Amino acid sequence: MIRRHTPSAIFMHWFNALCWLLLLASGLALLANPDMQPVGAWWPRLWNGALGAGGLLDLHVTLGAAWLAVYVVYCLLYLRREVLPFLREIFRLTPGQDLAWCLRKGLVLTLGEPAMRRLGLNPELPPQGFYNAGQKLFAIAAVAGSLGLVLSGVLLALSRGLTDAENLVQWALFVHLACAGIVAVGLPVHIYMAALAPGEGPALRSMFTGQVPEAFARHHNPLWLTEPDGPGVMRK
Amino acid sequence: MARYVMAVDTSRCMNCRACILACQQRNGLRYGYYRNWVRRTPDAGSPSGFAFQPGSCMQCENPPCVAACPTLATYKGKDGVVRVDKERCIGCGSCVSVCPYGARYRDPVLGVADKCDYCAPSRALGLEPACVQACATRARIFGDADDPNDPVAKILAVRKVTRVEPPEHSPKPTQVYLGETKPTDWPRTTALAAPLAMMHVVAGAVRWLGALSLFGVVGVFLKELVLPSGSGPRDPDKTA
Ligand code: HEM
Repeated sequence: MIRRHTPSAIFMHWFNALCWLLLLASGLALLANPDMQPVGAWWPRLWNGALGAGGLLDLHVTLGAAWLAVYVVYCLLYLRREVLPFLREIFRLTPGQDLAWCLRKGLVLTLGEPAMRRLGLNPELPPQGFYNAGQKLFAIAAVAGSLGLVLSGVLLALSRGLTDAENLVQWALFVHLACAGIVAVGLPVHIYMAALAPGEGPALRSMFTGQVPEAFARHHNPLWLTEPDGPGVMRK
Repeated sequence: MARYVMAVDTSRCMNCRACILACQQRNGLRYGYYRNWVRRTPDAGSPSGFAFQPGSCMQCENPPCVAACPTLATYKGKDGVVRVDKERCIGCGSCVSVCPYGARYRDPVLGVADKCDYCAPSRALGLEPACVQACATRARIFGDADDPNDPVAKILAVRKVTRVEPPEHSPKPTQVYLGETKPTDWPRTTALAAPLAMMHVVAGAVRWLGALSLFGVVGVFLKELVLPSGSGPRDPDKTA
């Protein structure tokens, strides 16, 4: 077994996931105009019945503030140890390889390897580092989307006290929806690949124990194992 | 359910502005902010030299403000009155800028939209709207248009009705004028603010891409149940 995630990173992942799902659900319920949100009028109605209009807004703003506060503390305490290495990792892009990985993985998942071979397509995936191309893509979307949500969200939360700021508030609302939308579109794929896809069990378990079998890593993340600051660094 | 309508006989209005003050007082509006108005237009045919036209929110049948509200804090009640739920309002101001009548403003302290709701709180206590009560000449007639015994229903049945509406895309105002009124050409159709209009586009894109992502994942999940990829003839994953 080799160490893949630190306890602090594991805590932050699950804390973030819980907050994100609740904030997404309540946010889509707040945006009750069915022409301005993606799920339809039934969703806001469901939440309104449970919490009432004011309660829903309070829940959303309080949860968002708590999420932000915990992130600020985490980023300050773990900036050099975890936050910067994570950012370096997800932005280590190799466009050609990454694109090939995403396209082939998508076809492997939908068509299946035998069908790909029959069609003359190469199903072999380019070797990956700590994160595969799909994870990097989702992580970049999650980080960028969350930053956009923080900036626009803080503005929206404080905007009641502002005067003559309607245009700013409207743009913040647009950015808030767009950022949430980008991440939300990726979430089903993330959750499937992490929790439901056959063969990914060890990765899911690693988000609880922090450990991953060496053979699994050799197959999924060969480049990570050979890096000078590979799992040796994380093992500490 | 009642269908509340206000009919205004502008020929009776003498521009005393009691309606404006009564509204401010009854609804506790902030100094300098009004929910209703009296328009004054030079008119040689009138004894005073002016045509007066009282107005307020027109409680439209197809209210652009409701369509512009991202949270549906602004809604049209079953009684026909367009109202603002201050708890839901996030103060984005889209309704203010989209109203063809300029009948709304953003409360500078609460940061939420404010407008005429035919004095909903005091109406619940059985009072007439403040502007109706205060009008010395009874230029404003208010009531349930569906109740044949109501004064407003009676007068609507016999008098010619004029609607003051924008030339294009009329939101169908339900506040009407009795007989002639001047001017009728001032309301303007205003486009939804750009960020809100773009939210329509984003919402549509997220709807379709999200459905693709969600149903794609469900499809792959079901396919794996029925036809596990591990059972294929050549599968390097097996060794992992
Ligand atoms: C409840 C549903 C979720 C499950 C089961 C889940 C599971 C996982 C697992 C197992 C990993 C580790 C993958 C690895 O070690 O290779 C992971 C990573 C990650 N998760 Fe989640 N997650 C969930 C929700 C979320 C949410 C809501 C977000 C953020 C919006 C999120 C963001 C991330 C990010 C950024 C990473 C690292 C990069 C990546 O793997 O793409 N996760 N998740």
